[in-house]
Amino acid sequence: MKIDLEFTLNGKNVSIETEPGKRLLDLLRKDFKLTGTKEGCSIGECGACTILLDKLAVNSCLILAGQINGSDIITIEGINEADVLHTLQQKFLEHGAVQCGFCTPGMIISAYALLLEKPDPSYEDILNALEGNLCRCTGYKQIISAVQDSAKEMMQD
Amino acid sequence: MIHELKLAKPSSLDEVKRILSSENSKIIAGGTDIVPGFHIESVRFKNISSLIDINSIAELKEIKIIENEIQIGSAATFSSIVNSKIISENLPLLAKAASQIGSKQIRNRATIAGNFINNAPCADSIPPLLVYDAEILLESEKEKRRIPLAEFLVSSYKTKIQPNEILTKIIIPNRYMNFHGLFYKLGRRRGVAISRITFAVLVRLENEIVTDFKFASGAITPIGKRFHEIEKTIIGKRVNEIEVKLTSRNIGEEILNITGVRWSTTYKIPVLQQAVYQSIKKLLSGN
Ligand code: FES
Ligand code: FES
Repeated sequence: MKIDLEFTLNGKNVSIETEPGKRLLDLLRKDFKLTGTKEGCSIGECGACTILLDKLAVNSCLILAGQINGSDIITIEGINEADVLHTLQQKFLEHGAVQCGFCTPGMIISAYALLLEKPDPSYEDILNALEGNLCRCTGYKQIISAVQDSAKEMMQD
Repeated sequence: MIHELKLAKPSSLDEVKRILSSENSKIIAGGTDIVPGFHIESVRFKNISSLIDINSIAELKEIKIIENEIQIGSAATFSSIVNSKIISENLPLLAKAASQIGSKQIRNRATIAGNFINNAPCADSIPPLLVYDAEILLESEKEKRRIPLAEFLVSSYKTKIQPNEILTKIIIPNRYMNFHGLFYKLGRRRGVAISRITFAVLVRLENEIVTDFKFASGAITPIGKRFHEIEKTIIGKRVNEIEVKLTSRNIGEEILNITGVRWSTTYKIPVLQQAVYQSIKKLLSGN
């Protein structure tokens, strides 16, 4: 049995007919072709599938389509304007915080959620916000510096 | 692939109770347990074909003080518990346990009742809730019943909830102002670790006399459990009369009696006894 969903996706009102038991991750990747959101572990441990749901970072592999009617969803494709990179994206590149890149969309969404909540985060705040995002490549140092640097720059604007 | 499912998202509690009484449905809130369970086709969830999402019901999300009790809505997320002043000021051990659960993403979704509704031994909210003498409210279309959490938790993965009931509130007496305590958690790694050993201790000291003492274990016993007999040996004593080493040893032995010897016992029991020893010492010294 299919249901009709209406919600906001990256700032636009969208509607779709789908199965309520489909994972939000699959809805985004397969139905909306937003493949920036990645699937790593599928069980809520790696953070590659992180998106913003009503301004909070959540794992899209742990949410069912039937749960999101009326909500506001932002994916990695929705954080920047037109062809300009978001400060976080720019800083991740500058700091060498992207290697294979698989964790990057999730990392950036978690960092984005943090900066919405705390524009001037402490080192501890950053660790806390990124604790659910695993990276096999970078060793995290570059990622943390990229977030610190982004916070600094975004507060100046 | 997740099997065919029906999912309702009612906006009132009455509607939830009506659905529960008329069809075989399960409640979903954060979904952090159920959704991956569906995805890996876990036998625990394979018979579920109808779900009720309770995230739109505001009263199940509230945390408030009513008279001399703190009421926590069953669908309050761990993030909302961590951010709640009511919790951090009056129930600090619960705030501490909540802040260490999963990751930020998990805390933003996972709910307090969801943590223990299946009575999995690793539920981190259980030891603090047990030392705070929490009770729970179960509601069905016809009835409301309020029972102590300790009674609700029957055995591993088994509780007293009936298929037509929803757990609506966790109710805790607001009287721990003059207590201090701690929540201990040992997991296998930082972050998303599932707990291996957890416990909570709560102490009230008045003029060097222990006037109240509560101890509850979590992940190390098959279900969360208070140690009333051992607690009684301490209550009423002067701080310098208490044999902390003996108490920690007794707690370890009691746990061994419950669990029996397992592959991890030689590691876990000494670690537990040491951690209990240090915790009680610290609390008795007034810290
Ligand atoms: S794919 Fe969702 S947390 Fe790993
Ligand atoms: S850059 Fe490869 S996993 Fe993080």
